[in-house]
This record gives sequence, C-alpha cells and structure tokens, in this order.
Amino acid sequence: MTAVSTQLSFFDTRKGLFSWIFSVDHKRIALLYLYSLITFFLVGVTLGLLMRYELLNPGKDLVEAKTYNQIFTLHGVIMIFLFIIPSIPAVFGNFFLPIMLGTDDVSFPKLNLLSWWVYIVGALMALSTLVFGDGPADTGWTFYAPYSVKTGTNVTMSVLAAFVLGFSSILTGLNFIVTIHRLRTPGMTFLKMPLFAWALYATSWIQLLATPIIGITLLMITAERVLGVGLFDPSIGGDPILYQHLFWIYSHPAVYIMALPAFGVISEMLPTFSQRTIFGYKAIAFSSLAIAFVGYFIWGHHMFTSGMSGTARFIFSMLTFLVAIPTAIKVFNWVATLYKGSINVQPPLLYTLAFIFQFMIGGFTGLVLGALATDIHLHDTYFVVGHFHYVMFGGTGFAFFGALHYWYPKIWGRMYNITMANIAFVIFFIGFNMLYFPMLIVGLMGMPRRYYDYLPEFHLPNMISTYGSWVLATGLILMLANLAAGFFKKGPKVGRNPWNGITLEWQTLSPPPVQNFDRMPEIPLNGPYDFENKPAIKE
Amino acid sequence: MEKHDKQSDHAPVHISSYRDHWSTLVTLLLLTVVTVVISVFGANLAALSVATALLIATVKVIVVAYYFMHLKYDKKLYTWLVLLVAILFLAFTVLTAIEYFNR
Repeated sequence: MTAVSTQLSFFDTRKGLFSWIFSVDHKRIALLYLYSLITFFLVGVTLGLLMRYELLNPGKDLVEAKTYNQIFTLHGVIMIFLFIIPSIPAVFGNFFLPIMLGTDDVSFPKLNLLSWWVYIVGALMALSTLVFGDGPADTGWTFYAPYSVKTGTNVTMSVLAAFVLGFSSILTGLNFIVTIHRLRTPGMTFLKMPLFAWALYATSWIQLLATPIIGITLLMITAERVLGVGLFDPSIGGDPILYQHLFWIYSHPAVYIMALPAFGVISEMLPTFSQRTIFGYKAIAFSSLAIAFVGYFIWGHHMFTSGMSGTARFIFSMLTFLVAIPTAIKVFNWVATLYKGSINVQPPLLYTLAFIFQFMIGGFTGLVLGALATDIHLHDTYFVVGHFHYVMFGGTGFAFFGALHYWYPKIWGRMYNITMANIAFVIFFIGFNMLYFPMLIVGLMGMPRRYYDYLPEFHLPNMISTYGSWVLATGLILMLANLAAGFFKKGPKVGRNPWNGITLEWQTLSPPPVQNFDRMPEIPLNGPYDFENKPAIKE
Repeated sequence: MEKHDKQSDHAPVHISSYRDHWSTLVTLLLLTVVTVVISVFGANLAALSVATALLIATVKVIVVAYYFMHLKYDKKLYTWLVLLVAILFLAFTVLTAIEYFNR
C-alpha cells in the first residue's frame, strides 16, 4: 500500500454513476442506501402530510375515503419497509461497522451490493402500485386477511414488494453477523466492541431468523389471492387468526430491528458528548441480546382483541412485560452516563436527549397497551398510532437524524452549520410532539385509527396534530437543507476527531480512505469507552 | 490489511475426505428415496405423513449442516447458534398451539 493510496478518500478513487451503483465498497453502498432512504422517507412524509391535511376538519377535506385508505397503507409500507427497517443498519451499520471493528470491509462485499439492488427493486415494486393495477393496497401496512385476500386493490404487488425487501434485510443481517464473528481486528474481542456493533449483532440475528417468516406469510396471501388456496379466508376453510400469528411472529421482532440499532447509536453518542465511560457497558451489550431474544415470544400482544384464546392472551401479556426489563436497563444506564460527565451540548446530543424523552413516552404507553385490560379499551384507537410513532419516529427516527449529525463530519469531512442545526432541531422537536401527543389524547377519548372521518368532539386534538405536522415538516426541511448546504456549499473542513470521540472511526481520516485506515488503529486497553486512557490521535 | 490478521472465531481448517462427501450424498439420496416411497407409493401413514416428511427433512438438514457445511468441525458456538433456530421454531409452534387448542 503506497502512502498516496492510504490517504485517498473513498469519494476520490473513482468517479461516475457506475462507480457508485456497482461499487462493493461498504462506505459507498452505505451512501447509496442513505440517498435512497431519504428519497423514500420524503415520499412517506408527503403521504403523512396528506393524511393529516385530510384529518384537519371532520368530513372531506382533500380525498375520498378509499384514497385515504390507500394513502395510509402506502405511508405505512414505505415508512416501515423502505425507511425504518433498513435505516440505521443499512446506512450507518454499513459505513461504520467495519471501521469500528478495525477491518477494511464487510465479509461479503458483493452480497452487500446485491442487498442494495434488491432493496431498490422492492422499492420500485412498492411504488409501482401507484401507477399499475387497481391502485395501491388499502389494507393498512399489516395486510390483514381475509380483507387483503378480497380487496380489489393491488395487494399482490404490495406484498411481493415486501417479500423482495425482506431478502435485502436478510442479506444485510447475514453479512453483519459473519463480519462480527470473522473480521474483528486483533485485540478487538467481543467485550471490546463498541455498543453500536453489539446492537447491530442482536439486530442481525432478528433480520436473519424472523424475516423468512413474513416472506412465507406474504407468499401465502398471494397463493390465496391467485390460486384460491384456503389459508386465511374462513369462507374457503382458512383461519384469519393464523395470518395474524404469522404476521406478528415476524413483525413484533421487526420492531426491535427498528429499535435496537437506535439504542446502539444512542450508546455511541452519549459517551462522546459526556466525555466519560458509558455506565454499565456489559449490561447494555447483553440487554440488546436479551431484547432480541425475548422479542420473539411476545407477538400475541398485537392480537388481544382478535378472538384468540384467553389463555394465550394471559401468557402473551405476561411475556410482554419481560421485555420492559432489558429496555429499562438501557435507559437507566444512559441517564447514569450523563451523571458527572463533561457534557458538551451539540446537535447529536440534543437528538439523543430527545430520543430518551420520547422513547420513554413510547415505552410507557407500550406498557399500557401490553396490559390486557387497558388494551381492550385502547386497541385500534389513535392511542396506538401515537404510541407507535413515539417509539418509531420519536425513538428510531430521532436516533437516525442524530446519527446523521454525529457521523456527518466523518462521512463527508466537513461540518454543517451548528446554530442552524440547533434551530432545526428545536422546530423538529416541537413539531413532533405537537403532531403525536394529541393522538394519545384523542385515542384515550375513543377515536378509532384508520378512519377517514371523525366525530366533532375529536376536532381540536386533530387540528393541533395537523398544525404540528406542518411545524415538523418545517424543521425537517431546515435540517436537511442545512446538512445539504454543509456538503454543497462546502462547510468548514474537519480533522479526524471533531467530537473528541474514542471509537476507532475517529482515528482515521475524514472522510475515510478506501481501505478505511491510513495507519493501524489503536484499540483502547480498558474497553471501547475508556476516555481516561484515550489514545492520542495525531492529524 | 489482510484477512489473516483478523481476531476471528475460526476453528482450525478442516478438509473433508471424499469418503465423508460420498457418505453425505448417499445418505441424502437414500432419505429422498424414502420420502418418495412414502408419499408417492402409498405408505398409508394418515396423520403421520406430514410429521414423517418433516422428520426426514430435518435429518437431511442436520446431515448437510453437520458434515457438508462443516458444523461438526467448527467451534461449538456455531452449533448452539443453529440450535437457537430450532428452539425458536419450537417456541412459535408451542405458543401458537396453546392459543389454538384453548380457543
């Protein structure tokens, strides 16, 4: 390796579109994912804004009832399958896992590229329902049978899209598991891995083992729609509750595919901006595995009102409470990490603190829904929609944007405008809570979810929520514009370690060279967050 | 950096003999013949026919994973990770069955 090649950034090696879309460099693939994800996210946001506009007043504001059903279904499919599930692992996992482990790429670089292509094919299939067939599915993102078997909308293409997207997820999970087992640099034992790597490890096992179940289930819907095989439709001998079992056996663990990587990101940002060792490293690491494991056994809490047996409802409710334990372990340890730290308030820390606050609201409302008695009252109300968005958007979404602000200088070698990032954060945070908190209240008042219209007594919370969506969108536009400006208007260049971080990515150049390191990284002796004995990093 | 520098979980490299490969192939072929005989040529196992097919398929999976895919010669950790899949499958089946039979 010559001195020149080790200094050359991964942006500068080869130019042109083909050098990107056929690249096997994990960093380029990560950015391909980032640009695709943000594009689909903006489509999902637009659909969400349309929904909120429709709900501004009782009665029709914008679209017909059937179109509204199609909009919320496509919003769900895009946000779940195209944004939240791949978000942190595919972008930041791909970019930083090999660097954090001190290696030069993932175990299977070509498989990594294939998973992005599969993702793009699946995404185009999902979006094609807007144009082809009888319009997008109107079933909700859960595709519940028997309605999904009978509706005239383009369910077949939607479920096939989700099926294809599943393969992308499986391939990424497989790649990460093998990379973590096989490619750690010498000295990087499991207990010296950063917590982001631990979180990705736990996530990858869920991606690998749970995703095939949804794949088969979605194919079963297609078999029933196309071939008339009686699987879920009771009129031809099927069992609709079986569909819900199969769907949630995947889709509940999938919640942890969405949440665990966010936990990992938070566990990276907190020590950096507190400048101290993370509290309870092992507890946080093993609680990721515990959440992944327990998460497999609690799918039934989505089905308390489906007509399943009382015994099963009792068992699933009890098991559900178990998952709160490892989750609470993480939250207590994060808060304890801040205690007596040298806190440096920067945009990524603001997103981290917002994550903890909003995830707690999401978690506690989750306990209300996990309890049998209260769930019977709240099931299928806006309370569930509010809870889910607090966990997924207030949690994972904020972690994603926090991670973007945190690793931005490392990826592009430049810094964005910090003041503007702070302003955008405040607007984003206020908009988020204006948008989703009224949903919890209107849900408690009894407003059902997935309804095009509502009674006049639900008007005020819905109005606040819609205004909140506009505030949120303003914050989002400001945030993305600020990040883009840092890149296009060439924000100030940064050195290797602008945040004074300690994990291995901060020892290499910004942006990293093709081989990831221009010199051998030094592994901290007493674990990955040993700030007291931090290796000196020379520019 | 070369791959051999890594802190990896590799067990010492094991090269399977031709005899192992042939034994695996013959076992798989024999089990396939048994499956065909049971399903096509009318061995009347009634409700047990699905269970029998699953059992034979499971044995084939074990043979492939253990010998052809070298699980036998790798670190025991990987055997446990593969067993995890079986445990999860069992859990899904048992929990769903509890629900179904108590409706």
